[in-house]
Formats: sequence, C-alpha cells, structure tokens
Amino acid sequence: MKNKQITVALAGNPNSGKTTMFNALTGARQHIGNYPGVTVEKKEGLRNYQGYEINFVDLPGTYSLTAYSIEEIVARNFILDKHPDVVVHVVDSSNLERNLYLATQLIEMGTKLVLAFNMSDVVKQRGCEIDYAKLSKLVHCPIVPTVGNKAKGLDELLEVIVAAADGPALSESGSIIHYGSEIEQELEQIAALVNQEHQLVKKYGTRWLALKLLEQDKEVLDKGHTDEVIQAVAQSVERIGKHFGDEPEIVVADKRYGFISGACEEAVKNSVENRHTASDLADKIILNRVLGLPIFAVLMYAVFKLTFWLGGPPMDWIEIGKVWLAEVVTGFWPAGTESVLQSLIVDGIIGGVGGVIIFLPNIILLFLAIAILEDSGYMARAAFLMDRIMHKIGLHGKSFIPMLIGFGCSIPAMMGTRILENRRSRFTTLMVIPLMSCGARLTIYALIIPAFFAAKWHGLMMWLIYMIGVVLAIMCAKLLRSTLFKGETVPFVMELPPYRVPTLRGILTHMWERSWLYLKKAGTVILIISILLWAATTYPKPNESALTGLDARQVQEAELNYSVAGRIGSAMEPAIRPLGFDRRIGTALIGALAAKEVFVAQMGIVYSIGEADEDSDSLRAKLKENYSPLQGFCIMLFCLISAPCVATVAVCKRETGSWGWAFFQFFGLTALAYVITLAVYQIGSLFVG
Amino acid sequence: MVKSMQLSASLEDYLETIFVVVSEKGGVRAKDIAVRLGVKAGSVTGALQALSQKKLINYAPYEAITMTTEGLKKARQIKRRHEVLKEFFIDVLGVEEEIAEKGACKLEHDIPKVIFERLTEFVESIKKDRIMTHSKNEVTLAEMKPKQKGTVLKMNHRGTVTKRLADMGIGSGALIEVERVAPLGDPIDIKVRGYHLSLRKEEAAAIILSAV
Repeated sequence: MKNKQITVALAGNPNSGKTTMFNALTGARQHIGNYPGVTVEKKEGLRNYQGYEINFVDLPGTYSLTAYSIEEIVARNFILDKHPDVVVHVVDSSNLERNLYLATQLIEMGTKLVLAFNMSDVVKQRGCEIDYAKLSKLVHCPIVPTVGNKAKGLDELLEVIVAAADGPALSESGSIIHYGSEIEQELEQIAALVNQEHQLVKKYGTRWLALKLLEQDKEVLDKGHTDEVIQAVAQSVERIGKHFGDEPEIVVADKRYGFISGACEEAVKNSVENRHTASDLADKIILNRVLGLPIFAVLMYAVFKLTFWLGGPPMDWIEIGKVWLAEVVTGFWPAGTESVLQSLIVDGIIGGVGGVIIFLPNIILLFLAIAILEDSGYMARAAFLMDRIMHKIGLHGKSFIPMLIGFGCSIPAMMGTRILENRRSRFTTLMVIPLMSCGARLTIYALIIPAFFAAKWHGLMMWLIYMIGVVLAIMCAKLLRSTLFKGETVPFVMELPPYRVPTLRGILTHMWERSWLYLKKAGTVILIISILLWAATTYPKPNESALTGLDARQVQEAELNYSVAGRIGSAMEPAIRPLGFDRRIGTALIGALAAKEVFVAQMGIVYSIGEADEDSDSLRAKLKENYSPLQGFCIMLFCLISAPCVATVAVCKRETGSWGWAFFQFFGLTALAYVITLAVYQIGSLFVG
Repeated sequence: MVKSMQLSASLEDYLETIFVVVSEKGGVRAKDIAVRLGVKAGSVTGALQALSQKKLINYAPYEAITMTTEGLKKARQIKRRHEVLKEFFIDVLGVEEEIAEKGACKLEHDIPKVIFERLTEFVESIKKDRIMTHSKNEVTLAEMKPKQKGTVLKMNHRGTVTKRLADMGIGSGALIEVERVAPLGDPIDIKVRGYHLSLRKEEAAAIILSAV
C-alpha cells in the first residue's frame, strides 16, 4: 500500500530549538530551497512514520505572524495558502509566555495545531512544573513535551501529528481568546460585513479576517475588501483608539498576553524562585562594562584566525593539488606540442575549478565559526556590544561581523550577511563589504609598497590603504542608507537568547548547507566566468612568424598583448591614462578580475619576468623603472576600491537574487575607483610633478 | 465680594455664554446668544439690558456687546464653578464627559457657596496628589538604571515599533527590569516576561513606566 502523504509545517520563535527539532525529525533527508520571490530559505525534509510519508517544512523563525517582516509574511502565507495538514509549533518551554504568543495567533488561524514543548528538561531542572493536560485544555490543542537535542519525545510527537492530521478539521476555534466586550463588539460588526465577502471568508475564516482587519494588518487590508468593510474598520479603529487610548493592534496584543498569563498562572507551578540562571551569570562577565569589549575583540580575532590561518594549509593543498593535476593532464600530450584542448583543460577548467574551491576552506571555517557564535547565543551579544557604532552609520549591530570577515575575503563575508534580517541593512552591508580590503589585495600591496616606498614608510602605507577602505565603506554605507536603502532605521528590538551548548550536528549541518550553497550556486558562475577570462587572456594567438626569435618570456608577453585582454588593455589606454595607468596595467587589471592576486602574475608576464609573485624583486625593479611612486599608489588605490573579483559578482547575484544589484555593485565600485584614482593622480601630479 | 450682585440662574447663563463667545470669536451679537442658548431674540434683549444695568456688560442696541472688567471677573467665576463640577464628575465619579457637562450646567447655579468651596478644595487636592505620584514614579525606560524595575504605563512610539514591542510582550502592565547598559552606553538589556531583550535608548525613551 502506498504511503499516505501529509505536509506538516514547523513554526516557532527564533532560538526555540526549531531547527534542531527539524533535523531530529527528518534526519539527512532534507532539501533546501527558497520561498518563491524572496531570499528566505525554505527547508523541507521527509520522514516515514507508520504508513505516513510526512513532509516537514521548516518555516522561518518568527515571534509573531503580523506583516512586520518578510519572514512573518512568508510563514503566514505558507499556512494560509498551502494549507499544511498540521502545524507544529515548537515552543521553548523555558520561555513560555512569549513563545505562546505565536501559538495564540496560530490557533486563531484555525489550523490543526500541535504544540511541542521543547527543552522540557531545562524547565524541570529549574524547578518549574507544567500541567500539560490543563494547559492543553486551556489552549485547545495537544501538547507534547520534547527535548530536541536529545531526540526525546519525538515518537510521541509523530503520533500526535498523525492523529491530528486524521482528526476533524477545527471549526472557528479562534474564539478561545475573548478580547473583552469593547473589542468583541467591534469584531462582530466587522464580521457581519466581512461575511458577505464569500471568497475571502472561505479561504481565511470570518473571525480571523475581522481580527486582522481590526489589527490594521496591511496584507489583509489590501485583499480587496468592499468600501463598506474598509469604512467600518476605520470607524472601529477610531472607537477603540478613543476608548483605550491605543491602536487596536496594541490592545489586541496586550489581551493575548493577558490570556497567556492567565493560562500559565493556572497550569504552571514555579516551586523554586529562580532569579539568576547560569546564562544570566555568564552575561555578568561576557557583557560586563569593562570586560565585554575585550572579550569581544578576542573572540573576533579568534574567528578571523580560525578562518584564515587554519584555512591557509588546506588552501595550499588545493593549490598544490591543482598544480599537480595540471601537470598530470599536460603529460597526456607529447612534450613541446600545444593544443587548444590541453590549454582549455589545464588553464581554463582546472584553473577555474581551482579558483572556485580555493575559497572553500575559508567558507567552511567561517561558517563553522558563525554557526558556533549563533547557536551558542553569542551572536546576539556581539550585536548588542557593537550596535552603538554600527547604528551611527545606519547599520545594525550584527553588520559588524561580516564587515570584519571582509578583511579576509569578501566571498564568505557577503554570504555572512545572511545573519541580518532587515533587507536594507543587509543590502547596504553587502554593497560595501568589498571595500574592506581583502587578503588577495594584500599581494598587490606587498608587491608595490616595497617597490616605491622606503622601508620606514611600509607600515604607514599599508595602514593608510586599509583605512581608506574602511572610511570609504563607512561613507558609502551612509550614502546608501540615505538614498537607495532609505528608510527608518530598523528598531533594534532583539532577543538575547540564553546561552546554550551548540550541538555538533547542528553546527555541522549549518556549515555544510552554506558551503554547499556556495559550491552549487556561486561556484558554477565563477567557473564560467573564469573560463571566459582564460579565453580572453589566451586568444587569439599571434602568428608563429611573429614569435620567431623571441625567448619563452617574450613569447608570453607577445601572446598576452595579442589576446583579447591585451587588446582591451590597449584600447582602454586613453581612458586610464588620466589615472596614471598604461596599457600594461590595463591588461593586468583585466586579468585581475578573475582574482586580485592575478594582477601580480599578469604584471610579471607583461614585463617578461616570467613567473612573478609578490616577493619578486626583479618585477619591483621594473616597476620602479617605469612608474612613479604616485602611480604605484594609484594602482593600489584602484585595486582597493574597484570590484574585487568575478566571484564577488557571482556571490552578490546569489545573495541579492538579482543580477541588477550585482552589476550595480560592480560598476558602482569601479566608477568610484575611477573617480577617486583620477582625482588623486591629477591633484597628486601637481605636487609631485 | 460679589454678594451685592447675586445673579439669577438665567442671567448667569447669559453672562457665561457671552464670555465663551467673546473668547472664541472676539465679539458677540444678540443673535449669537439667542442661537447658543436656544431662546427667542426678544428674551435676549431683556437679559442684556439687565446685565448692562448691573454694569457687567456694555450694551447698546445695534452695537457689538463687550464685557466690563467686573463682568469678566464674574464670568470667570461662573465658568470656573462649571469646570470644577465637571472635573469632579469625570475624574472622581467617573461619569462620561457628555453627561458630566449636562450635570454641571444643571447644578452650577443652585449649589451653596460653602459646598462649592469645599468641593473645589477637594478636587484640587486630588489633582495635586495625582501629579505628585506621577512625577515621583513615572519614568521612561531609557532613564532607568540597571536593577530598577517598573510596569509599563504607555508607549509613545510611532508606526510599527509599538506593535513589534507589543508582540515581544512589552504592553500595558508588563513588568520590566533593566539588566544592564551596553559598554558603549547603548543599547540596553532588559528582562521582560522572563527573557532578555535588548533595545536602543531611542526606543526605550518612548516607553513610560511606573517605577516599582
């Protein structure tokens, strides 16, 4: 017999252990996608249980189901439009009142609701006793105590889910909360009019519609109601405002909390007065006025170190592997001969794939660190500590972490902006991250600074270039927040969840998901563009006759000059001359689009030095011969500000969901780089001569 | 002081009306008064003449009516009596405004002077009490120091912030304890409904609590 299929949505507050529960319920059978049209992740997973195939959908974590944030709208619309057979609300039982607030709204939606009282062990330890039977009666839905991270109570939960799915549909159950005669009266009046809107009533239920209208819910108000309804709502809103001195949605929220307080008073017994939990004590040190910031600095340093220092050796191995593989493949062809296919495989594909996976160690380690910070509860504290500074430039406290990571590599940093819930903050952060000078650009500075400046200035020059990046990032963030991403600053209303020991499984899942996402979505684009760039720097090839009499290095130079990249470099010359750049720099800049460190190698080729790296003294000597220190500085400046590499463009597209933003960032930064470098070179020339 | 000048109830009404209209519009005509009080123009003329004789108003046919200094004083007294009564009905007895207004109109003329004076004192003392208790306990969340507690009285935010806060459990009557202020001075960490919430002082300044 074929399994009966049912869909179960998992709802819950952030930090309620919902994701842990989801993992415990579905195991490895998960699928991650996006909700249509928005960049909110949608996780689904399958579970077979007693002849049922249960499709679990992990809704975004929310505190409420109003139209306050995109997550709330997504979660609500999923329940309203997709009609899951059962909704499981994962409740953090150690924080019952606020968690049950969401439950009241789910009940009012008329869904078949099952409450999973998660972390029930913590509650017991705290000497708190919950009378599940009584509470269940009060809220009109079944309650199952669970411990998500120890996989306790899961069978009971599954059993209740299956029973609920087969059970009768709930009638208009919304009325379990009585909002008091004044509001009920208004609700009745609105309901009477709404009842004539048959289509909407059929879909959403009369009471829910009336309640949402009274709450002035924007989404529901826009559902095409009759003028009569809209007018009646406006009048009701005014009457309630007069009577309570508050907007109806506030009064309704207060009443819900009133109902919850009442229910908890009846069904929850606190046998031990527990003022200070271990978490409170930890915060006494971690958020201490004196110690808080030093601890934060140390932790951030640890994250940075973990990402880039620990990531260093695996990156070297990948590099070695790439070279080895290239050699092996080259060996398939007889020595000395050249073939297009060989070049495509070795330089194009192996080089391109290498360019993609070279970031993987960084990404994996960064997301490991972020997962630990998030799951332990420290991330919210970091935002709490840094918000004062970040708020000044119109960003959220949480923006600090991705921006810091940007000093290592923009790719993981941009993916790290996912920790920001608000779109405006997130996009602003995303746009300015490339201005935080990344590790690849360091190779350019390391080549140029010693070439043009005396040893005693090295440190200062390095500091200056990094600071220019930071200052520009701040200015751009401010500019973006007051133009493109204009709008009220997001009110900083953020829970500081209790500290928890993260589960290994949770962290690994988190880390794996992000890394896979990078490989799958950004990786393919990076690969394609890398191959295109390879073609541009390789083709077309000059005639054999043109190369006769040249040594190997000169051949390389001639080939690069003859290629598309070389020609573009030459063609660009009039445009970049005012910046102090010549054709050779232009060619190298095009190559640098693949990755910034390529700039150094390309300069080596155009100056026929052969294999060049940032320690190459012969290349430095050449540079010194051909350019002034001002030009050297302008090269660094341009490389700092212009879009870092094609991988960032691909990741920007992936994270914003649109090529528009990706190109905006790419061309915006390049234009900014052009203008600033132009100004610096032209004004600088007046003084230096 | 005004014993020599006892007015009839209806003349008091006239004087009060003239006072109100003058302070609203700057001047008054016999017709305005008739409309306000819902009486015939003829009876207005009689009353105006009576008030003029008592030197409370300056009145001559076809000219704008103005009030004498004495008349202004008297009118203010009458008005004040009306307001004290109304306040008493609304604030102390909890009567709705409309009914309080009617009651005040009915009672203001007949009330013995002693009772009125005592009533005035009583209403004043209650008002003072309230102001005292308010200024002593009413604080914004941003002003509260760590370890201080308070219950929410009202929130003065605009837009979605209030709704968001209400969703998070900060509504009328919610008990809030300030846990700490961030090392850089903003935001703050509060405990509400058993969990920790952080918010900026900007938002906290609009939350009015009564300190416990």
